[in-house]
Amino acid sequence: MNAADRFDLGGGEPVITLRDVAKSYWREDLEIPVLQGIDLEIPVGAYIALMGPSGSGKTTLLNLVAGIDRPTGGSLEVCGYDLNDLDDDQLASWRNAHVGFIFQNYNLVPVLNAFENVELPLLLTGAGRGERRDRVEQALSLVNLTDRMRNYPRQLSGGQEQRVAIARAIVTDPDLLVADEPTGALDAKNAEEVLALMARLNTELGKTIVMVTHDPKAAHHARHQIHLEKGVLDRTVEVNR
Amino acid sequence: MRWLALIWKSLMRSKRRTLLIVGSLVLSVFTVAVLQSLLTTLDAATNNPRSSNRFVVRHKSGLTQMLPRSYENYLRQQSEVETVCALQWFGGYYQDPRNFFANFASDETTLFQIFREEFGASNITEAQIKDYLRDGTGCIVGESLAKKNGWKVGDVVPLTGTIFPINPRLTIRLIFKSPKLSDENALHFHYKVLEEGVPRMKGLCGSFWVRARRPEDIPRLLERVDRHYANSAYETLTETENAFNLGFVKMLGNIGAIIQGITIAVVIAILIVTGNTMATAIRERTTEIAVFRAMGFSAGRVLSLLLAEGVLLVGVGGFLGVALANFAAGGVRGSLGMAMPFFADFSIQPETALACLAGALAIGILATFIPAYAATRRPITEGLKAVG
Ligand SMILES: Nc1ncnc2c1ncn2[C@@H]1O[C@H](COP(=O)(O)OP(=O)(O)OP(=O)(O)O)[C@@H](O)[C@H]1O
Ligand SMILES: [Mg+2]
Repeated sequence: MNAADRFDLGGGEPVITLRDVAKSYWREDLEIPVLQGIDLEIPVGAYIALMGPSGSGKTTLLNLVAGIDRPTGGSLEVCGYDLNDLDDDQLASWRNAHVGFIFQNYNLVPVLNAFENVELPLLLTGAGRGERRDRVEQALSLVNLTDRMRNYPRQLSGGQEQRVAIARAIVTDPDLLVADEPTGALDAKNAEEVLALMARLNTELGKTIVMVTHDPKAAHHARHQIHLEKGVLDRTVEVNR
Repeated sequence: MRWLALIWKSLMRSKRRTLLIVGSLVLSVFTVAVLQSLLTTLDAATNNPRSSNRFVVRHKSGLTQMLPRSYENYLRQQSEVETVCALQWFGGYYQDPRNFFANFASDETTLFQIFREEFGASNITEAQIKDYLRDGTGCIVGESLAKKNGWKVGDVVPLTGTIFPINPRLTIRLIFKSPKLSDENALHFHYKVLEEGVPRMKGLCGSFWVRARRPEDIPRLLERVDRHYANSAYETLTETENAFNLGFVKMLGNIGAIIQGITIAVVIAILIVTGNTMATAIRERTTEIAVFRAMGFSAGRVLSLLLAEGVLLVGVGGFLGVALANFAAGGVRGSLGMAMPFFADFSIQPETALACLAGALAIGILATFIPAYAATRRPITEGLKAVG
């Protein structure tokens, strides 16, 4: 039984391919392995819940896939690019074009209103003023917050803030959405709303989503669950919805 | 939203902090601009390009000692000398002792030749000069002094003596302009008024202003005059007009060193304050910076944005500081300028203003660059983990 069999996530072109990916930290001369021998193919349009105990390496793996961290071994091909081949600036443009980020703490810019927060990643794209406005409005209407456009983060509820953050993540129309505990700071009702929204982004817009979560209920919204255990892939579970 | 809007909104994150830092910048730039301009003003007073032909002869033991007026004859005999003017600081006041300005008893026959460049700036006519020469109790006053006191030609100005026990009543015969405001805040009257009114001044004068035909001759003349009167009853000290004025400036102490010292202290203090504020402001945004970079802002782009914030901050502070200094300079001219001739020329020179702005910008860039560079070198994953 080889790795590909164990972690079969269904057909389709892979949008993420990890080969023998490893990540270690060094404390003095002591190597602390965090991820080891990760082989993984994730097809276009997948919705993955990355699960595992605290400290098992979920965030580390997500960061590698999203191109904000570098592996210490192996190769990652994401959205058609071998990330090891890109320098830091190229990687930054690559993220802007291909990855949308959703954080546990929303991480909106407090001095910008909802509209401006969503507009931020578009400032790098060279889109004109009018085009930016159209795309921001489109993204905000998708998360159902058109009427809160001029509100500042402190004038929004947690659930609304996270929806603005989601609008910001999708405004550049990336192929891949990464989310680290996106419902970790929300109550059950708001969490449910955000998860429903992410499911729609997956089914209706065809976004590939990798979501780290502790919460089995959240994981249930994904189509596949990948379990990490002490830095190695443990098992994959297909979710029956 | 444009880049500038983003930068501005980021600056306005903490209005109180922004206001405090701009306020301290305004104050520092103001202080430095005023002090440096003071220095330039004093330098200019001792570096008058129009004085290159002139030198001053006075008593070796100081200005309170008098020289015989017969010395003028010797001075005139020197072939390199064009003309000589006896000039004595009178030190009188008008109406109120606080109403102080420069007033001199001077040899009316040569005054206009000695200070040809200065008087040349006004359109005074031969007829006006004749009016003054004809009237033994006539006087001439500078335009700015006349304006301040509401004087016009024909008015009588009663002066109260402080050094000399006479109170001459002088009729204004001529109002002159001068390229330097300090020369305009002055009054001259006939030397005879002093000589005839004060018996102990008969045949004596505190200084002789001499005009050489060519500037090149001056060094030789200075030496010759002092040598001629060495070991006489009235020994002389002869120096160029600029050196003479420098003597007055030196009475204020080593102003240059003090001003440079204060400037350095202010610059260091503001660098520390700005650096510390920017470091705190940037540290508070550790997570935000990581989020920007995750979204695709390169480290260089984030660094430029942060630098632009710092530059805008100090730019505003620096500009306001210079503007305030400029405003204050007008006040100095109007008040101190009347008491101390040097201050009448006080202004914030464009070079000083530019230097202050450039200095402020340099401080802003330096104070921002260090924490901003460190922040953009930090791994994104670490920034995202930071609690902020
Ligand atoms: N900068 C670092 N230096 C050293 N060790 C690190 C560093 N970052 C993470 N680790 C270690 O790597 C391991 C995996 O961390 P990671 O954040 O990926 O875990 P996680 O699965 O996301 O945990 P949690 O569910 O608590 O978020 C942990 O043991 C952690 O201590
Ligand atoms: Mg984690």
